[in-house]
Amino acid sequence: MNAPTLDIRDLRLSFAGYSGTVDVLHGISLTVRREERVALVGESGSGKSVTARSVLGLMQSLQETRISGDILFEGTDLGSMKESERRRLRGTRMSMIFQDPVSSLNPVFRIGVLFREVLARSNPGISAREARERATAVLSEVSIREPDRVLDSYPFQLSGGMNQRVMIAMALVNEPALLVADEPGTALDVTVQDQTLRLMHRLVLEHRTSVLFISHNLGIVREFTDRLYVIYRGRIVEEGPTQAVFQSPGHPYTRALLAAVPRITRNGIPEFDADPALFDAPRIVHEPTGDRP
Amino acid sequence: MRSVCKLLAGRVAISLLVLAGVSVLVFAIARIIPGDPARIALGPNATAEQVRKLREQLHLDEPVWIQYGFFVRDLAKGDLGVSLYTNRPVTTDIAQFLPATLELILVAGIFMIGIGLPLGILSARYRGRAVDHVIRIASLLGVSAPSFVWAVILMLLFAFFLPLFPIAGRISTDYEIARATGFLLVDSLLAANFAAFGNALWHIVLPAFALALSGIGQAARLTRANMIETYEKPFIEMARSYGFPEKRIARRYAFRPSLIPSLTILGLDFAAMLGNAFLVEAIFAWPGLSRYGVTVILRKDLNAIVGTVLIISAAFLIANLVVDLLIAFLNPRIRYGQESK
Repeated sequence: MNAPTLDIRDLRLSFAGYSGTVDVLHGISLTVRREERVALVGESGSGKSVTARSVLGLMQSLQETRISGDILFEGTDLGSMKESERRRLRGTRMSMIFQDPVSSLNPVFRIGVLFREVLARSNPGISAREARERATAVLSEVSIREPDRVLDSYPFQLSGGMNQRVMIAMALVNEPALLVADEPGTALDVTVQDQTLRLMHRLVLEHRTSVLFISHNLGIVREFTDRLYVIYRGRIVEEGPTQAVFQSPGHPYTRALLAAVPRITRNGIPEFDADPALFDAPRIVHEPTGDRP
Repeated sequence: MRSVCKLLAGRVAISLLVLAGVSVLVFAIARIIPGDPARIALGPNATAEQVRKLREQLHLDEPVWIQYGFFVRDLAKGDLGVSLYTNRPVTTDIAQFLPATLELILVAGIFMIGIGLPLGILSARYRGRAVDHVIRIASLLGVSAPSFVWAVILMLLFAFFLPLFPIAGRISTDYEIARATGFLLVDSLLAANFAAFGNALWHIVLPAFALALSGIGQAARLTRANMIETYEKPFIEMARSYGFPEKRIARRYAFRPSLIPSLTILGLDFAAMLGNAFLVEAIFAWPGLSRYGVTVILRKDLNAIVGTVLIISAAFLIANLVVDLLIAFLNPRIRYGQESK
C-alpha cells in the first residue's frame, strides 16, 4: 500500500454540447502522496473545479462529458470501476468541502440528521445514539462549544463560520483518506475563513488526511499546502514544493498570479511584473492545440 | 412551536372572517335572483293565502338585513333552516349528501398526490430522457382538459367499450351497509364487509380518477419544475459528493425542499375539486352534494342554497388551513418564525 493517495495521469475532459465539444482539460497529471497537502491553483475557468469533481467521480456519470486518462485512488483506477463502486468511495474514503457552507447544507434537515446520514455512509447500521455521540465528538474537534444546540439546529440558524465548521467536521467524520477542498470558505469573510482554515489544517494533520486544495488565493495556499500545481487553461504549467514555487516562479502565468496578490506595502493595487503579452486573459473555452505551454 | 400556533390562530381568524363575508354575499344573492321561493315550493295549485303564510313563516317579507339577523341567530344554534325541496332540515340533507362528495374528493386527492408527485420526481430525476418526455406530454394532456371531459372519455373507454368499471353509482344495490360515517369505504370496513369495500372502491376509481387527472398533471409539472430548480443548488452537489444514491437524492434531498413551493398550489387544486366534482358527479350519477346543490338552486330553495355554499366554502378554507400547517411543518424557516433568505 505504497501507492499515492491520488494519482492523476493525463486527464482529458471535454463537454459535448449542441455546438460541438468544448475541451476543458488537456491532459492533467498530478499526484497527492499520503498525508500530503497539495494545492491546485488557477483562475476561474482554468479547470480546477472540474478536476476536483472528476477525482470524486462526479463528472464521469454526466452524459455530456467525454473523459480519458487515469485517476488512480490509492492505486485503483476510478475509470475501471462501476459507477456504484465509485459512489461507495465518496463520503467514506474521500470527501469534499465546498465554497459556500450555508447553501451547501440542505436547508430542510437538522444538522444532526445530516450528520447521521453521513455517518451511515460508512456504517449503515449506526444507531441514532451512537451517531449523535460521534457527531458531538467531531464537532468539539472543530471547536464548537455547544454541539447539542448545533445538532438540533437548521443550517439557516447558524452563522456562516459555524456552518463551515460543521461542513469540515462532516467531511472528516468518516476518516477519509482524501479530502478535496474546493475553494473552502470563499463565500465567508476573510477573518472567519482564516479561522476555519486553520481548524481544518490542524484536523487534517491530526487525522493524517491527504488534501487536494483548490484555490485561487495564493496567501492561503502558501500557508496551508506542501506542494502546488498551477493550472492554466486546462493544463498544468508549473509544479513544485510551495515555498520553491513562491520563491522562483518559472512560468509567466505563475509570476502574474503571484504579482496579483495585493501587498499592503504597495498601493494596494496589484502590479503585474510579468508581461501580459505572454498569456491570454481567462477564458472557459480554450483551443485544443496552438496554446503556448 | 409557538410561531406555528400564532400562525394557526391568525389563519383561523381570517377564515372565520371570510366565512362571514361569504354568508352575507350568498344570503343577498340568493334573495336577489328573481322568483318567489314560497310559490316555487308550493307549486302552481297553492292558494295565495298558503303562499302568504309560508312567506311569513320564512320571514320573507322582512327587510334583507333582518332576515340575515334571523339566519345568524339560527346558525349560532347550528340550525340552517328547513329545505323547501326535501322538507327536512338543511343540516340533515348536507349530512346525507356531503360524505359521498368528500369521499370522492379525498380519493381524487390521494390519486393527485400519490400519482402526481412520484411522476414529477421521476421526470426531474430523468430530465431530458424518454421517461421525462412521456410524463411531460401526459401531464400536459391531463391539465389541458377539464375534469368533466375526462369523465366522459374515461367512462366511454373503461366502462362502455371496455367494461372494466361500472358506469354509475357508488355501490351495487346488493350490498346493505349500516350507515356510520356516510363514507362507504369507511363504513364497509367498519362492518368488516370486505366484498362491499371492494365494490365501493371499484365504483369510485373512475370518477375519482377523472376528477384527479388535471390535478395529477399539475402536481407532476409543479414538482418537476421545482425539483429541477433544486437540483441546481449546492446542497445537491454536496449530497452527490457524499455518495448518496441518486434515488435517495431525488426522493429526499431534492424533493423535500421542492415540495414547499408546490404545496400552496396543490392545496388550492385540491379545494377546487369541490367545484369540479359537481360535473363529475352529474356524469357518473354520484349521489353527492352537487346534485342536491344544483336542484336547490334551480328551485330557489333559499336555506339549502346558503347552507350548501357555506359548507363548500368551509371545506375550501379548511383545505387551505391544512396546507398552511403542512408548509409550516415542512419549512423550518416558517416554524421558527424567520424570513427566508
